[in-house]
Amino acid sequence: MVLSSRRDVLRGAGLATLAGAAGGLASGTVTVTAKPNATPSSTGFLHGVASGDPLPDGVVIWTRVTPTPTSAPGSGTGPDVQVTWQVSADDRFRRVVAKGATITSATRDHTVSVDVRGLAPYTTYWYRFEVGGQASPIGRTRTAPATGAAVASVTAGVVSCANWQAGAFSAYRHLGDRDDLDVVLHLGDYLYEYAPGEYQARDVVVRPHDPPRETTQLEHYRRRHAQYKTDPDLQRLHARVPFVVTWDDHESANDAWSAGAENHDPSTEGSWTSRRAAAARAYAEWMPVRFGLDGRLYRRLGFGSLLSVSMLDLRSYRDQQASSPVDPGVDDATRTITGSEQMEWLLDCLSSSDVQWKIIGNPVMITPVRFPSTLSMTELAAVRQLTGGTGIDGVPYNVDQWDGYTADRHRVIRHLRDRAIADTVFLTGDIHSAWACDIPADPLTYPVSGASVATEFVCTSVTSDNLDDILRVPPRSASLAVESAFRAANPHVKHLDFDSHGYSVVHVTPAALRMDWFALDERTDPASPARLSTSWIVDAGTQRVRRA
Amino acid sequence: MTARPGLDRRTFLTAIAAGGASVLLSATEGTAWAARPVKERTRVYVLVVDGCRPDEISATLTPRLAELRAAGTTFPAARSLPVMETIPNHVMMMTGVRPDRSGVPANAVYDRAEGVIRDLDRPNDLRFPTIIERLNERGRTTGTVLSKQYLYGIFGERATYRWEPSPLVPITEHAPDAATVDALIAMVDGPDPDLVFANLGDVDRVGHSDLTGTTLQAARSAALLSTDLQVGRFVDRLVASGKWSSSILIVTADHSMDWSIPTNVISITQLLNGSPELKAGTVIAQNGGADLLYWVGAADRRDAALAEISTIVAAHPGVLEIRSPAELRLGPEAGDLIATCRAGWRFSDPAVVSNPIPGNHGHPATEPIPFFVSGGSPRVRRATSSSAQARTIDIAPTVGSLFSLRTPSGGYDGSVRSEAFVA
Repeated sequence: MVLSSRRDVLRGAGLATLAGAAGGLASGTVTVTAKPNATPSSTGFLHGVASGDPLPDGVVIWTRVTPTPTSAPGSGTGPDVQVTWQVSADDRFRRVVAKGATITSATRDHTVSVDVRGLAPYTTYWYRFEVGGQASPIGRTRTAPATGAAVASVTAGVVSCANWQAGAFSAYRHLGDRDDLDVVLHLGDYLYEYAPGEYQARDVVVRPHDPPRETTQLEHYRRRHAQYKTDPDLQRLHARVPFVVTWDDHESANDAWSAGAENHDPSTEGSWTSRRAAAARAYAEWMPVRFGLDGRLYRRLGFGSLLSVSMLDLRSYRDQQASSPVDPGVDDATRTITGSEQMEWLLDCLSSSDVQWKIIGNPVMITPVRFPSTLSMTELAAVRQLTGGTGIDGVPYNVDQWDGYTADRHRVIRHLRDRAIADTVFLTGDIHSAWACDIPADPLTYPVSGASVATEFVCTSVTSDNLDDILRVPPRSASLAVESAFRAANPHVKHLDFDSHGYSVVHVTPAALRMDWFALDERTDPASPARLSTSWIVDAGTQRVRRA
Repeated sequence: MTARPGLDRRTFLTAIAAGGASVLLSATEGTAWAARPVKERTRVYVLVVDGCRPDEISATLTPRLAELRAAGTTFPAARSLPVMETIPNHVMMMTGVRPDRSGVPANAVYDRAEGVIRDLDRPNDLRFPTIIERLNERGRTTGTVLSKQYLYGIFGERATYRWEPSPLVPITEHAPDAATVDALIAMVDGPDPDLVFANLGDVDRVGHSDLTGTTLQAARSAALLSTDLQVGRFVDRLVASGKWSSSILIVTADHSMDWSIPTNVISITQLLNGSPELKAGTVIAQNGGADLLYWVGAADRRDAALAEISTIVAAHPGVLEIRSPAELRLGPEAGDLIATCRAGWRFSDPAVVSNPIPGNHGHPATEPIPFFVSGGSPRVRRATSSSAQARTIDIAPTVGSLFSLRTPSGGYDGSVRSEAFVA
């Protein structure tokens, strides 16, 4: 997402006392409330285990070994080690169905990623690794249903925007407590690149980033990934449920595009090509993802005849963001957010007739959203900071989203409409807020016709700041008026919550797709309870959202 | 009701419908007018709500249809098949095979032998045995209650009992749903066939002419409400007559509907104006959202001419794609090229004013259809949805399976929708 001018503001302020927000909002002092994680002093499996990208016959299993006390993440040192792995049909490993050994080394930061094949569809397995007689924690995973198989339901956790510095990962804990998840969809901003003090919970650094600087090089990105994977709630969730992930911008730098990023200065931070390669390499090493063979992160996973999940990469191929929503470049047919190959692939995914629900793992919002004309200057400035838009009445509010690349969005919407493709649902992150939207065939006639070609559900942030944080008001107070204004200006936006943090759970059956949003009481509290805040449903064949 | 001999090799039954109107049913001479007493019967009714979109079935607009759908097994991913027109999809429903095997790819084709563009509305246009005839051969009885004249034409006297649509609305040449359901009830009250194939035409016919189609769909909504009442009347009659517990209803549509504004019109004839050779050598059979193109020019120019035509037509912003009949399994009757339009467009040939109606189908935007199996029979799986992509072509295999019929020679192209039935 756009954190426009945040970095510029922070650069001038230093780390001890930092301006809080642009646009005349109240400023504050950043407080660091915790020490950085100490460098791991022991050896073994310090970063947990994980699995991901389930197929009917396989799944990726992942871990990181620390063979010597000095082989810390990002250190580039340490011996080559052989790691053995086992996959079992029972949690006591009496029925091992697959096993093997692999060598890892400092070259890949001692991470281990095995694409295990030959497994049975829709089956729960347990897995573990071993090195030098030391066993890893046991992970649990589950393969996808067989291609074409009838599936009664699939349940997935949906998360995005987890800023370590802004709070605890209670959202992951609550998801880990559930026992009904087939998969967790992570829609990006799994981690953030900022230095301590640059981006946190309002003015409070709940826990500082490691390394204590902005990540720009391979070592930094490796250490940042490693730090996130020390979080006990994230470790536990990874160990219990396979993830399907994609990145947004903060896995590299804010507002990344194919040849740069808002938060990248080539004059002081080197070439974007090098930085992006470093970020991608660390991501491939540290995430349980089938990524690297062809350099493509976008991919499609099937769950029987019920649904497919197509995970988009909206950072690697996009043109630079338009300067503002009134920049004519917004509508330039030659500008792209997906790149031409990914667009062709996406259109193919949408028109495939082998599954009912086409779920698109979409890092930034596709629903057209226009600024209402009734906001106060303070509200305008706050939304502008959240989204990076200009706040001009009636124009799209965020050029980092599909709103800034209308030609590509038109291709998608026209394809859905021309082919009458049903049951396409975009699941989206990025914007630190909860949305339930129809995607109009034509926004101008939608208020009369109600014609919608697809739907979009946006999950809120695990911890990252949103509107009440920027306005510095209690949750569900000043934001309510802003949300009402947005809904009035955008009749296809049926639900909007600019304040809550937490997670979502999507439950898919042949009859309907339902998303539940769970809000944390307090994102900075590691023991925070969560409560169901709202539920929205798309009935099969309707292309419309309705409140459950 | 009274039976009387006809002037030809048919007999007629005059039944008095609920409203007092008389309904005339026909049968081949010698056919019994009373149902055979059978202990555990299964009655199958295929109800086609012509042109209905799946998202038009709702608790508020069509409560009876919505109730039926909720009670049985629904297939929300169901699709019609090319060309998304009435005659070919009704034929696919009753044959279970694609048009390259049935000979019926569209409503209107260019008949090369006769040198005319005509509807495929003759009984001998249909080359593949229908489930109707095949059930009859096994001693079952069948009925057709088809609201449109051309459907009555192509299915002809295949069924044991037929209703010839009447009264016909001028221009649309279809019988109003109230009359059609009168006939359906008379058919079930009287000869009570094992299978009845019924088409309700109002939703389609009103949809075609609804000038508010791109926005309010006011007339269309009124038709949906009215048709829903008629479906409810039929269901109520099944219940009242004690047949509900043995009834299986397969409710579907042959295609959906898409509306265009008057400026979004494609005239291929006009597009070919720049080339007298191409224009003179091309015959166009217009099917709403699909144009079937036939090359009638010099044979040695065929391939080159079709390539040129494809390039010219595909460049129009309203054209979605150009396909060959083989790609769509349409057979030689469909000509040489099939052009389909984008959503919100329509074809109009030979002139831009030739097709003034705002509601059209035939293009991929009109593929989604409702498709659900309901009824009181214990064989129906209750309150279920299936992700399977049911198609119009699945109906014949499904009906055949319900009556334990063997597959036809060469097999079906469709699938048995066993998801809708208890094992």
